[in-house]
Amino acid sequence: MCASSVIPGTTLGATRRIRPISGAATGQLARQRPAQPVALTEAEAIRLAQAGNAAAFEFLYQLHGRRVYALCLRMVGNPADAEDLMQEAFLQLFRKIGTFRGESAFSTWLHRMTVNVVLMRLRKKSLPTDSLEETLEPDAENSAPKRDVGAPDLRLTGAVDRVNLERCIEKLPPGYRTVFVLHDVQGYEHNEIADIMGCSVGNSKSQLHKARTRLRELLQEELRQQAREERKAAKSPTGSLD
Amino acid sequence: MHCKELESVLEAEGLGQLSKDARLHLATCGSCQGLLADFNSITEAAKSLPAEVNPPDRIWISLRAQLEAEGLIKEPVEVSEKASWWESFAAAWKLRAFAAVTAAALVMAAAVYVKHVPENGGSDIAKKQTPVESPRPAQTQLAAVPPVTAVPANTAPTQGSVPSSKTKELAPSPSESASFTLNQAELDVPNMQLAGNSQVDTALRQNLRTLNAFIAECELRVKQNPQDELAREYLYAAYQQKADLLAAMMESGRGDN
Repeated sequence: MCASSVIPGTTLGATRRIRPISGAATGQLARQRPAQPVALTEAEAIRLAQAGNAAAFEFLYQLHGRRVYALCLRMVGNPADAEDLMQEAFLQLFRKIGTFRGESAFSTWLHRMTVNVVLMRLRKKSLPTDSLEETLEPDAENSAPKRDVGAPDLRLTGAVDRVNLERCIEKLPPGYRTVFVLHDVQGYEHNEIADIMGCSVGNSKSQLHKARTRLRELLQEELRQQAREERKAAKSPTGSLD
Repeated sequence: MHCKELESVLEAEGLGQLSKDARLHLATCGSCQGLLADFNSITEAAKSLPAEVNPPDRIWISLRAQLEAEGLIKEPVEVSEKASWWESFAAAWKLRAFAAVTAAALVMAAAVYVKHVPENGGSDIAKKQTPVESPRPAQTQLAAVPPVTAVPANTAPTQGSVPSSKTKELAPSPSESASFTLNQAELDVPNMQLAGNSQVDTALRQNLRTLNAFIAECELRVKQNPQDELAREYLYAAYQQKADLLAAMMESGRGDN
């Protein structure tokens, strides 16, 4: 059904087909998955790329590049690093494309490579990240236990905007961040994420739950911080001038 | 159900359909209602984030340059219009499949020719044929070997042995073409970066030298005595072996890339 669906007015052309989803990989956001022009199928492009065809390489890049770039961008948080990582991921992919036998979906293979490249870079650079354990410790500034959830003043309903969320996603530990971005932002299902991350489905679910829990804490902290700044501004004699 | 149990359910089952027990607990627990509401807010906000972002064009430009530099992009070999036929042919030789098929075809043609020369003697051709200046390179090892169609000057013409229309065949004979094509392919082997020092490469090169020496000897025998069928058969077999060997060397060279 998906293969014959037509999405008019998409960015890569006037009419594009949703790519056929292989196996059970039918994520809830599958409608946002990369589509392909009618002229060339992904399988044909892979075959041609294996023979060194430049147009096929470009086709595969155009087909998946925007998704890979979005993933890199969310994982590292800055465009320069994201560009570097995306290029590295595609380079590794194209170097190994001759070995691709179609045992898993091409996009899964590509995302696995991308995630590996990103995590490797994060480990190498030791970018500042918070561990889950740290977040469970009482905050130095605010000694209130962070697991005091559900209190009326900390409800996030209606208070989560994209800017806040993006900022908090960047603060997640890399593992949580990867699963959260793949599942809640990019729409992959747990079985696909398990393939990409090389873990079990249960592990993927557990990581996602922990990521959401951690995000909730971070977002609540953002709200508290905003509230503190507002109170401080209100008390300050120059507050009205700020 | 307690709050901890509900959290375990959320971890294992996600935010979808909850069991009756979980729903009963939620109806009476403000803390868990808040947890679920917050999770839903987070997932809704996450869905609003773009799953795809257009990368800058420079990434592909840079990536493509890298792919070309590493030889992963194999553009078709462009041959200028002024290039002679053998230059085009040499370029085409870089495709192993084409090389193997062509070599086989030439060897077959050479074989047919070789087996028929003794009967007709090729005298009329000998009369009308002037040495064909084939575009073989001077450094080619077998370049000095005359074509097998060359007939000794003292051979008497056989009446009606060759129709006059056959005078068109002043072009290189199949045997000569086979020899020339194989030599061209041999020249292309170093261009395909078969310059490794592995034992396999060394053995292949040694085999090629041995084979070339054998071919030169056979060609000399055929030149001296065109009626020598055994020499022709050996020559035919040697051409075939050389075609196979060159194909193997090309394959090895491509594999090394």
